[in-house]
Amino acid sequence: MIERINFWGLHGAWHTLAVVVTYAALPLCALVLLVRLYLRIRLWWQVGRPEPRWDHINMRVQRLLKYAIAQVKVWRQAYPGLMHFGLAWGFFVFFLGTALATIDADIVKFLRGPLYLGYKLLLDVFTVIFLVGFVLAGYRRFVQRPERLTLTSPFALALGLIFLIVFTGLATESLRLASVALQPELQPGWRPALGWITPAGWLLAQLWLALGLTVPALTQIHLATWLVHAGLVAIFLVTLPTSALVHVITSPLNVFFSQLDRPDGRLAPAFQRDGLAGVATLRDFTWKQLMDADACTECGRCQDVCPAHASGQPLSPKKVILGIKNALTTCRAVLRGRNGNGQGEWPPFTGAVVEDAAAWACTTCRACVAECPVLIEHVDAIVDLRRCLLAQQRADGQLTTSLSNLRRYGNSFGKSDKQRAKWTTGLDFKLKDIRKQPAKLLWFVGDYASYSPALTEITQATARVFQRAGLDVGLLYDAERNAGNDLRRVGEEGLFELLGQKNLAALEKCQFEQIVTTDPHSYNTLKNEYAWNGQSVPVYHYAETLDQALRGGQLSPLRKLDTVATYHDPCYLGRYNGVYDAPRRVLAALGCRLVEMPRHRDRALCCGAGGGRIWMEEKNVKERPSENRVREAAQLAGVQVFVVACPKDLTMFRDAVKTAGLEGRLVVRDLIELVDEATRPLEPAPAVNAGAGAP
Amino acid sequence: MDIVVLCKFVPDLVEDLEIDASTHLLDRNFLRLMPNELDDHALEEALLLKERHGGTVTVVTVDAGDVDEALYTAAAKGADRVVKIVGEGLDQGLSSQRLAALFAQAAGEWPHDLILTGTQAVDDLDGFAGALVAARLGMPYVGYVTKVASENGAVVARKEYPGGLNADIEIVGQAVLGIQSAEKPPRYVVTSKVMAAMKSVTIEEFEAGDAQADLELPITGMAVPQSAAHAEMIVGSVTEVAEKLAKLLRERGLVA
Ligand code: SF4
Ligand code: SF4
Repeated sequence: MIERINFWGLHGAWHTLAVVVTYAALPLCALVLLVRLYLRIRLWWQVGRPEPRWDHINMRVQRLLKYAIAQVKVWRQAYPGLMHFGLAWGFFVFFLGTALATIDADIVKFLRGPLYLGYKLLLDVFTVIFLVGFVLAGYRRFVQRPERLTLTSPFALALGLIFLIVFTGLATESLRLASVALQPELQPGWRPALGWITPAGWLLAQLWLALGLTVPALTQIHLATWLVHAGLVAIFLVTLPTSALVHVITSPLNVFFSQLDRPDGRLAPAFQRDGLAGVATLRDFTWKQLMDADACTECGRCQDVCPAHASGQPLSPKKVILGIKNALTTCRAVLRGRNGNGQGEWPPFTGAVVEDAAAWACTTCRACVAECPVLIEHVDAIVDLRRCLLAQQRADGQLTTSLSNLRRYGNSFGKSDKQRAKWTTGLDFKLKDIRKQPAKLLWFVGDYASYSPALTEITQATARVFQRAGLDVGLLYDAERNAGNDLRRVGEEGLFELLGQKNLAALEKCQFEQIVTTDPHSYNTLKNEYAWNGQSVPVYHYAETLDQALRGGQLSPLRKLDTVATYHDPCYLGRYNGVYDAPRRVLAALGCRLVEMPRHRDRALCCGAGGGRIWMEEKNVKERPSENRVREAAQLAGVQVFVVACPKDLTMFRDAVKTAGLEGRLVVRDLIELVDEATRPLEPAPAVNAGAGAP
Repeated sequence: MDIVVLCKFVPDLVEDLEIDASTHLLDRNFLRLMPNELDDHALEEALLLKERHGGTVTVVTVDAGDVDEALYTAAAKGADRVVKIVGEGLDQGLSSQRLAALFAQAAGEWPHDLILTGTQAVDDLDGFAGALVAARLGMPYVGYVTKVASENGAVVARKEYPGGLNADIEIVGQAVLGIQSAEKPPRYVVTSKVMAAMKSVTIEEFEAGDAQADLELPITGMAVPQSAAHAEMIVGSVTEVAEKLAKLLRERGLVA
């Protein structure tokens, strides 16, 4: 019966050499690998702060299977997905194959007969898959050369090395096959099958046969190739910890230790050292944030989707992460200290490795996190930088004016709290003051919807729609304060806490069952970041409330809108909280035909206002994210209406439509306006003009 | 260089202001106070000077109501001492005269090479307060200052004049400076630092003596200004305008 032959074709001294290489030299290299790797990764906990990441082990294992083994996020993009699948799984299968061969040779002989042939077939198929991946990678790296990639030699060398390892493996096999072919007395029963069981090896073997090599020559070349193969594997092992391929170890680790202890919409509390908040030097990161850096594969997907990067700002999430990685590489000197006793001075990280303007450019849209195949947490790191910058008074004047307003008045507009509910004076009914009367729904209106004169009519429309749906709604009136979502994200943790306490103190005295918000930003922080004294309070965005009302029949469209619309997912509703379907169902219920933009749901492009960007100066912008976005929508044939579900979006995109010269082509409308239009009882005049023309 | 910064609280104009019919003053029940914006610039300039040349910064304010938070904020920004002048009736609104008297009493108690204050306030558009303090202390006063530099021991204040003119004024000895704007926008100090200052900093108190105003003018009545005759436009060539103007001034007895 056919079976796997250990050290085929090796006799005498050569056999001894092979045994030494396999059982002494390669294990030694593996040991070197482990030691070098340990010396690197121990920096994570030597330098980084502690952070518990050992909870939910079963979910961690699930994530490992999903993101490290099945690599679902790598597949978000077809070309790089296929390329990486070929290389990674090719290599992974060879690794498994080698492990099985070791078991077969040294523990229990089982690779024989059909099992052996299946084993060979699998390895051969994956050789081909690997080669496809290799060709795709070569084309991408040397021909396509996308901006997001790190096009430096270590990556090319790593690619070359794994190719040579696989190729010499294949060559070894083919030489053996050629030799078998010349010796009819060997494996007579299986001969016909060899061609299709090891197709790649068989094909290459035909080349050797065509060259007319004899059995002794084939055996000699086989030996040499095998030795080269083993030597390459040795190089691979020894260099792995500093090679571009180290991510085969660090990325799965990073996936395993990824964030599970809190929802995506909740930031970790600010860390303080010597009265200074956030990250000032490398040692202010947690060990996990340092691991993030070492897990980065430099694929650049995060940079590709970053709205700040696309608009010409000096921010690239990839560069932030690599900045941490480089700082980690050069920090050993600090750990040793200048004269060898104790730690030296930690060089500044914030403002030095990552420039101030880069940290401030982030909209905290989380597109980078959604895209990163190895679950790196960029936004948390960037907010940590901002906490430090703000504490060091390195924020722009416009931002600090807004912050001063927020501290003094509880809103970024610098208006009196008594004017917060001034918009209600335009209503022909009175909304309950929830501080005096209980209501089922507490409507948390938020700063923009309350104070922005441009939004008054829309906020009033929201009130009318709520009333039409028979919802029992109450307001906090002047007791409402900015919820603090963006405050927290510009790094003003103390003010976030202060305003949060004020809101909670006001809310505690009121009777309600649920909260509904206008602003996805308030929604996120109320839902995920408020402590609520340990109680759970259901928080909804109005898109969800309207969806419920429409489905429950409390609200019925009186007419079909017959509009062709596209919908922009707000970051804090979509990516942060997974609310994608409710607004789409609302549109469908109104009779709108939805045409999706290429970037929708968790790939939606940020409007550029989040993370406190709306309070900052806009400097050196190439193309505003909001303009880029409306242009994307304008490409869609037939779409007239650009639907949003966030007050900030409305402001941003109405501006963008003007500056991009798309007036007349696109109308930006809030979801609520459409609902109002479809459910408003018929007035004698004028006729409802579906979709066209701003109100 | 030791600097005392005088800060006052002014009515916040985002709220509706009401006049109390009996006193003809702002109705203090509806008033919300806020630190005078230009005093914030004075503090910023003082902190910048301290950062450059060392010394101390003492912030003095009058206990007009809720002033503690502003003092803790000043401490968090880097002021070495924060002082509030306490006493009866200080929360009932003070004229610039009375305010200056209180400030002059208190300022002398703390080390001061310079005294900085905002050059104006919403309730002191003429900018009397700083000058009155200087007069009481017998010091020179420079108002509308946009920059203070100290070179080789000499202090130079840049004063802004209308029409884009600036003058660099060298100051000998102690002086009171009315700050129009600091060289940089006033710094923002994070809330957590203000909170920390609330725990670690003690606000010093200074008992207001019987500091009396030199001159207090009672308000006897109030009325909306009536528009009288309209302005007369003098037209013509430059020479003609000048002639007409000179004639007019002579007629009205304004020039001899
Ligand atoms: S959160 Fe958005 S803006 Fe910030 S780095 Fe990531 S992709 Fe860029
Ligand atoms: S952070 Fe993630 S997405 Fe960005 S380059 Fe690194 S691995 Fe790729």
